[in-house]
Amino acid sequence: MDLVRGNIFGFYALLVTSAGVLIVIWLAKRGSFVPTLRRIAGLDAMEEAVGRATEMGRPVHFSPGIADVTGETAPQTFAGLEVLSHLTGLSAKYDAELIVSIRMPNVFPIAEEVVKQGYLAAGKADKFKESCVRFLSSEQFAYTAGVLGIMHREKVAANIMIGAFWAESLVMAEGGAHIGAIQIAGTASMAQIPFFVAACDYTLIGEEIYAGGAYLSQDKIKLGSIAAQDYLRLALMAMLFVGAVLMTLDNPWLRNVIVR
Amino acid sequence: MRREIPIIITFIVALVFLLGPITTGNIPLLDVQFRDLVGRHLSPWTTIIAAFALGLASVNLLRIHGNTISRKRTGWIYSAILIVTMLFFGITRTWVELQPANREIAAFYGNFFNFLYIPLAGAMFALLAFYIASAAYRAFRLRSLEASILLAAAVIVMLGAAPVGALIWDYFPALQTWLLGVPNLAGQRAIMIGAALGGFTTSLRILLGLERGHLGGE
Repeated sequence: MDLVRGNIFGFYALLVTSAGVLIVIWLAKRGSFVPTLRRIAGLDAMEEAVGRATEMGRPVHFSPGIADVTGETAPQTFAGLEVLSHLTGLSAKYDAELIVSIRMPNVFPIAEEVVKQGYLAAGKADKFKESCVRFLSSEQFAYTAGVLGIMHREKVAANIMIGAFWAESLVMAEGGAHIGAIQIAGTASMAQIPFFVAACDYTLIGEEIYAGGAYLSQDKIKLGSIAAQDYLRLALMAMLFVGAVLMTLDNPWLRNVIVR
Repeated sequence: MRREIPIIITFIVALVFLLGPITTGNIPLLDVQFRDLVGRHLSPWTTIIAAFALGLASVNLLRIHGNTISRKRTGWIYSAILIVTMLFFGITRTWVELQPANREIAAFYGNFFNFLYIPLAGAMFALLAFYIASAAYRAFRLRSLEASILLAAAVIVMLGAAPVGALIWDYFPALQTWLLGVPNLAGQRAIMIGAALGGFTTSLRILLGLERGHLGGE
């Protein structure tokens, strides 16, 4: 069995970086290295948003994005589901109604299980209703129309959207802004970040959505992996610098290694 | 075991999907390639799982809207329209699939999809223009130094892209190109690298079962 040409560097880089991440996670788990995360305003505001919804007697709406659990945008969906797990706990704690709208059928049973387990863990299993997690449509704009309908009909007090979004991002965020909902949104989809910044009260930019699970749970393993990201970033910056210097000196060695 | 079995399945399947496109030759001790495992054995399973998930999701949709209709809640008529439309599209599409040679049925279904759903989706998409205007108004209000810089950059980029910009000042197009190509691109790449690393570590945590939030627990 051989590696296909063009993937050799990528494969070994994957092995090395995975090993690096696992070492940092292991150190954090053992307690010999305790990473701390900077404050992320959007995640801190989640409790405030749920509390506000409880005071107003209105529901909280959550969307884990419109991507599936497969493909390159899948990590964003999983990051959204991590936040959903925490949000369910908060909703149970404050007795706020939670509405989760789903676009992809594959995400539906996972989200339902997350919400069910969240209520169970909070000792409020009876709070889980079938209408908590709603499949709307697998068609992008039919889903968008469905979300706007929920926002206006149910008069949601808080709108939280964490995951992969495309053209519907601004329509949904502006829909939430028009009904006066407190809005927290996050995505790693580059083109949608400016829309969320313009229309929402708090925005999680890029990698911040992946830190959500670690930040909210303060789990050592997850914190370790976030710290590992920073070390990988340093390594990448060093590589970028060396590559730039070598190419300036007309030496294509690093480029040739990467394209192997 | 309720948690461990999904994690083991996730790990093995993810490994096969990862190695499928980047390896050639048979797997040692097995007379099969990773790419064949993906194409012949795993891909049909993803279709089967997706079909079951769609079934579950459809039941959820029918029960929620069925309840709305039976209890005559506000707006129940829309729930009725949704269920009728869903059943209509489901039945006609199945009919098309069962009789692929029958062009009349395909045209009948196509007409409803192309002349009913597509214009409605287009209308939703078109709303974006109005929402961009209202979001831009809020974002560009001179509330702080950052908002002022944003407003100045936006004005330069808009003037640089519009023909009238070059008539006002020759340097607007060049300034626009620089703004988009240097500070904007640098910021975008920084976010992209961070997001890619975040996606990678999240995937690794899921692959190794260290991330269990999606399984309903820590």
